[in-house]
Amino acid sequence: MRNLLILAAAVVATSGCTVVNRVTLNATPGTSEIFVTAGDIKEDHDVLGVVQAYKSGVLLFGNIDILGTDLEAGFKDLLIPYVKEMGGDGVTRVRFHMTQYTPWSRVLGAIFFIAPLPSSVTITGQVVKLKNRPAAAAAPVMAPVAAAAAAK
Amino acid sequence: MKKVALLLGAWVALSNCNAVTRGSRLSDVPVSGRQFFLSTGPAPQKAKTIGFLQIRGYGVELAGVTDLGDAQLDGTIKKTMVSEASKMGGNGVVNIEFLDENPSTDYEKAQNAAQSINNVLSGGGVTQKDRYVTVTGEVIQFLE
Repeated sequence: MRNLLILAAAVVATSGCTVVNRVTLNATPGTSEIFVTAGDIKEDHDVLGVVQAYKSGVLLFGNIDILGTDLEAGFKDLLIPYVKEMGGDGVTRVRFHMTQYTPWSRVLGAIFFIAPLPSSVTITGQVVKLKNRPAAAAAPVMAPVAAAAAAK
Repeated sequence: MKKVALLLGAWVALSNCNAVTRGSRLSDVPVSGRQFFLSTGPAPQKAKTIGFLQIRGYGVELAGVTDLGDAQLDGTIKKTMVSEASKMGGNGVVNIEFLDENPSTDYEKAQNAAQSINNVLSGGGVTQKDRYVTVTGEVIQFLE
């Protein structure tokens, strides 16, 4: 038990005070992939509806996310397949949040493994379908700031 | 001790129950090619989305007076977020949203300071409060 506590203290001491989670999306122009943006798009489009994707699970031993409740899983396994199912081309005005634990909380979760840490990811957005989308359509670009556009 | 208590009492009476968390300004528009762009709004020019980030900075507020750790908006946005977005290949983060999850009001700070003084005088330690800041953003790459 003493060794475990020393190990836990070492893990906490060497970790930073920030938790980072990220997801990389490959919505490059010229592909037919679903695009996702937190803003608006300037292309003409129809709104098919709004969507909220939510997944909950637990972190075993404070670290093992067996069900996939991070941003990667939330966007790629939950949101994007659902948008495809709805017949959408993309999602605008996306908002998201996932549970993030500090390294110290994760160490406690590992020690008290009988009670796994609850974890969840929630993503909301507006599903859109582009009008006049050409074959092998390009992913839309975000609408620039009006003032900057006017200045050009 | 009585004077300290009176002083703290006056401080509490004059303070209110608001908590304001400040951060410095983000990027100017238009942005130069070399500058990393940060904004709570949309991109200033054509850009494509390459991913999303969620960052949670945490720290500790000691005795209601000083903050230790990374629970500050500026550090989380301008250091961690820029660093992570750069690693993803981005040159900007837009539509940034942020939340200071548990800011202390002036009253709470005064209460913690008083409690800390009391603790120290009786041989204990200062009060600690966990602090959390969460920031999300859309990582972009300019097309022009």
